[in-house]
Amino acid sequence: MIYSLLLLAVAWSIYPILRVITISIRPGDNLLNESLSIIPDDWTFENYIKIFTDHPLGAWIWNSILVTVTVVITGVTLASTAGYALSRFRFPGREVGLLSLLVTQMFPATMLLLPLFIMLSNLHLINTYLGLIVIYSSTALPFCVWQMKGYYDTIPYSLEEAARIDGASRFMAFYKIILPLASPALVITALFSFMSAWTEYIVAAQVLWYEDMFTLPIGLKSFQANMTTEWGLYAAGAMIVSIPAIALFLFLTKYLIGGLTLGSVKG
Amino acid sequence: MHLRPDHKFEFRRAMVFLVFLSAIINPAWAGDKTTLHLWHPMPAPSRVVLNELVAQYESEHPEIAVHLLYKENEEVRMAYMSATAFTEGGPDLLYGPSDFTGALVEMDIVKPLENLFSKEELAAFDPNGLTWYNGHLYQIGDELGNHLALVYNKRLFAEVGLYRPPNTLQELIEFGKMLTLDKNGDGIVDQYGLVWNFTEPFFFMPFYTSFGGWVMDEDQNPTLDNDAAVKAFTFVRDMRDVHGIIPAECDYDIADSKFNTGAAAMLINGAWSWAKYMESPFVDFGLAVLPINEETGLYPAPMIATKGYYLNPYLDGERLDQVVELLKFLTGAEAQFKYASRLATIPTRIEVRNRPEILGNPIIQTSIEQVQHGKAMPISPQMRAIWDAMRPAYQNVLGGSMSPEEGAADQQRIAEQKVAELFEGQDEDSDAFNVTVIIVYLAGAILIIWALYKLVIAFILPLMHGVPGVQVKESRFGVLMVVPAALFIFGVVVYPFFYNLIISFSNMGLTTVNNWRIIGLSQYGKVFSDYQFYHFFVKTIIWTGVNVSLHVLFGLALALLLNRPLPGKGIIRVLLILPWAVPSYITALTWRGMFNIDYGAVNIILRNVFGLEPIAWLIDPTNAFIATIITNVWLGIPFMMIIALGGLQSIPQELYEAASIDGASPWQQFKKITLPLLKPVMIPAITLGIVWTFNNINVVWLVSNGGQPGDQTHILVSFVYRAAFNLYRYGYAAAFSFMIFLMLAFFSVKFMQKSKATETVY
Repeated sequence: MIYSLLLLAVAWSIYPILRVITISIRPGDNLLNESLSIIPDDWTFENYIKIFTDHPLGAWIWNSILVTVTVVITGVTLASTAGYALSRFRFPGREVGLLSLLVTQMFPATMLLLPLFIMLSNLHLINTYLGLIVIYSSTALPFCVWQMKGYYDTIPYSLEEAARIDGASRFMAFYKIILPLASPALVITALFSFMSAWTEYIVAAQVLWYEDMFTLPIGLKSFQANMTTEWGLYAAGAMIVSIPAIALFLFLTKYLIGGLTLGSVKG
Repeated sequence: MHLRPDHKFEFRRAMVFLVFLSAIINPAWAGDKTTLHLWHPMPAPSRVVLNELVAQYESEHPEIAVHLLYKENEEVRMAYMSATAFTEGGPDLLYGPSDFTGALVEMDIVKPLENLFSKEELAAFDPNGLTWYNGHLYQIGDELGNHLALVYNKRLFAEVGLYRPPNTLQELIEFGKMLTLDKNGDGIVDQYGLVWNFTEPFFFMPFYTSFGGWVMDEDQNPTLDNDAAVKAFTFVRDMRDVHGIIPAECDYDIADSKFNTGAAAMLINGAWSWAKYMESPFVDFGLAVLPINEETGLYPAPMIATKGYYLNPYLDGERLDQVVELLKFLTGAEAQFKYASRLATIPTRIEVRNRPEILGNPIIQTSIEQVQHGKAMPISPQMRAIWDAMRPAYQNVLGGSMSPEEGAADQQRIAEQKVAELFEGQDEDSDAFNVTVIIVYLAGAILIIWALYKLVIAFILPLMHGVPGVQVKESRFGVLMVVPAALFIFGVVVYPFFYNLIISFSNMGLTTVNNWRIIGLSQYGKVFSDYQFYHFFVKTIIWTGVNVSLHVLFGLALALLLNRPLPGKGIIRVLLILPWAVPSYITALTWRGMFNIDYGAVNIILRNVFGLEPIAWLIDPTNAFIATIITNVWLGIPFMMIIALGGLQSIPQELYEAASIDGASPWQQFKKITLPLLKPVMIPAITLGIVWTFNNINVVWLVSNGGQPGDQTHILVSFVYRAAFNLYRYGYAAAFSFMIFLMLAFFSVKFMQKSKATETVY
C-alpha cells in the first residue's frame, strides 16, 4: 500500500523530467514530439557532445561552483548564527527583526530588478562575482535564518545550560553542542542556498557581460533564442545543471535524517 | 560530545576559502587593448558568422578586442535600456531589428549616425536598410529580414500528386485539404496541411493585409477595427473550424516541430528559421511567396524589418572612431556577402545583392520577391502598444470567446488605451505639484528616521548597554550573531525599496525616463481604477492558496510515508526531490508541451486510461490557469517534503512510544504529537511559501507563454510585467509593485500573528 502510493508519487515526479531527457537525446531541435516513448528510436548523445565541444562549459561550471560554494558558506554561517540568536535571546526589536526578514521576501521581482542593477552599477559591481554573491546570499538568507531559528526552537534549552555549567562559553555551547544537533536544519539551509545560487539566471544575466564569466544557467540561456531555441542543447544543458544538484541532494539527505537521535542519546 | 581537534583539516579549509576569495575579488580583464562591447540577439547560425567576422577584425586590428554578448530579443532591448538610460553605461554597439528604434529615440539613448557617414557611403545601401526617425539616421542595417513566407515540404506535396506551391489563398485551402491526412486511420489527424504560430499577431499580419488592412494611419493612430480585420479573423478561424487544415492549437514550437518532423506540409515562418528546415531529414525544402488573395487582388504583406546596428549615445572621441570603423566593417560588403551566402539573408548593400552568387540563389530570390510584397514594420513605439492590443483579441477570437467583430472592436479599443498609456505622464497637471512633492519627501524622511530609530533601539543600544535583566555580555553576543546576516539582507534591499517608492510617486515613463518628476499619488489612482487589478488580485489569491495548501498537504504526506524504516527509501527520496533539482525554466516548458491538446501526455493519458475527451488546456482561460497551478504544485512539493522530513527528525521517538503505551491511535499521535512539534519548522516554510508563490512570475509566464490565452492567465506580478514594463510605464509599474508588496505584507503578517510563528515552543 505504502509502496504503491510512493510509486505513484515517484511516477508523477519523474515523468516530466524523463521528457526533458528525451528531448536531450532526440536528434534535431524539436521541443515537441507526438511520440510518448521515453527513449526515441534514433536516440543520440550528440547534444551532450556538442555542448561540451562548442561551448566553454567547463568554465561555466567552474564559475557556478565558485559562486555557489561561496553563497552556501556565507548562507550557512550567517543563518546558523543569526537563527541561534533569534531563537535564544530576547532583545527589543527581535519580533520586528524577524518580521522584517520576512518582509524583504515580499518585494516582487518587478520592484527589485531595475534598482538592483542601478545599485550594482554605481558600486562598480557589474562583471564581478562579488555582486552576484551578495545578492544570492541575501535572497537565500531570510528563509535560512527563519528555518534555523525554527529548528533551534525545538532543541531544549537545558542542553546548553548543562554545557554552561560545565564551563563552556556561550559560543562554545552553541558551536559544540547545539550546532551538531541542528544538522537537519543546516542541511536544509545548505540545500536551499545551493539551489538559489545554482539555478539563478535573471540577476546573473544583468550582472555578467562576458561569456567566459557566465555561470551555468546564463550559459544555458544562450541556447534559448527568440523563436529559434536549440531545444536539444537546452535540455542537455539542463540535465548537466541538475546532476550536481542531484548529487548534493543524495549526499546531504544522509545528514538530513538522524540529526537529533544522535544528540538525544548523548544529551 | 565529540570534539574535532583536527587543525590540519581546518587549515586546508582556510586555504580553499582563500583561493575562492581571490577568485571572487580578482578583477579579470585588464590589459592594454581597447575592448568594444557589442550586444546582439542573433540566433545560433548567425552567431557563428558574427564570431568569424569579429575574429577577422581583431586580427586586422590588434589594438581592439570586440566582446560579444548574446541575449534574447526582448532581453537585449531591456538590458540595453537599463544600462544606458539608467546608468549611462551599456555596450558600444547594439544589434537588433529596426522596431527598437522608436523607443530608443524616445528614451534618448541612441546616437544619430547621419554625420558619421558620407553621402556616398550611405548611397550604397538600399534605403530600406537605413532606419530614419524624426529626421535622423539611427540604424544601419546589414540584413533585410524578419519577413514571413510560405515554406512547404516538396516530398509531402509529391505524395499527393502536387508539384507546385499554391498560387492563391483558395488554392492554399484546397492543397491544405489534400495534405491533411489521418494516415493510420485512428481518427486523429497525423499530418496537417498548414501550420503556423497562431498565438502571435505578427503571424496574422499577412492575412490582415491581404484583406487590405494595416495597423496604423499616418499619424500613428491604430486602425484595427475594420472590415479587413473581421474578414481576416473569419478566414483564419474557418481554416481551422470549417476546412480543418490547421491544428486546434499551435504556437511557435508546435508549428516548428510539426513541420520539421514532416507532420505538416506547409508552414508560415520567417527568414530566421529556414536554414533549420533545409537540414531536416524529413523535409524537402521549398519556399514560396505567400499566395495572393483573389477576393481583393492583394498579396499578403508580411512585415519587414531591417536588422542592424545602433550606437551608444555616450560614445565620443577616439572610442567613437573605433566603434564607427567596426560598424563599417560589420555592415560592409564582405560581411554582408558572408551572411547572405551562408544563411540566405537579403543584403542591404545593392552591390552585394547583384553579385552572381546571390542572384543565382533561388531562396534569396524568392525571399526578395516576398519582401517586395511586404510592408515595413512601423518603428514608432506605438507599434508595441498595438501588438499588445492585437494579441489578446486575436487569441480570444481563435479561442472562441469573441466573434470576429468583437475581436476587431476590442483590439482597437485596447490599442487606443495602450497608446495613451505609453505617452502618459508628459502632460500631467502640475498644480498639485508643490504640495504633493513636499508631502512625499516629508513622508520619506519620516520613514527613514523611523527606520534608523528602530535600528538604534533594536541593535545598537543593546550592543552598547545591554538589555535590562540580561547580562551585558549575553545580549552583546546575541546581537553580534544577528548583525552580519541583517547587514547582508537589508543592505541589498534598502536602496531598491526606496528607489521604487520614489518612482511610484513619479511620472517616469517612455518619454520621461531622464526628466521624470514627482507627481503625487496619481499612479496609485490608476492602479486602483483598473478593474483588472481586482480581477488578477482574486486570481493571485486562488493561485497562492491552492498551491501552498497542496504543497504542504502532499509534502507532509510524503514525508510521513518516508519517515519510517522502508527498504529502498533512499532512492525513492531522491526521485521525489528531482522536480526541485532540475531547473524550473526547462521543466515548466516541458509541462507546457505536456498540456498540448492533441499530443500532450496529459491528454493522451486521460484518453487512454480514463477514456476522457481531450481537454483544451492551453486554449481555454480557466484550464490554462489550472495547468499553471498543476505545474507549480509539481515544482513545489519536494521543497515542503524536505522541510517536513527535517522537522520530523526533531521529534523524539520516545514520545510516540509513550503515546502508544497510553493507547493513543495513530491519528491521535499525529494530531497531538507530530503536528504541534512540526509547527516551528513548518510555519516559516509555509509563510515563505505563501510569499514566494504570491510573487512567482516564472512558472505562470513560462506555462502560459506570457499570459495566453488573451492575456488572461496572469497573477498580479506577471500582469504588471506585461502591462507596465512592456510599455515602459516605470512609474505605474512601481506603484503597482508597491501595492502588491503592501497586500502581501498585510496577509503574511496576519498569518504570522495567527500562527504565532515568532513564538518558541519551549
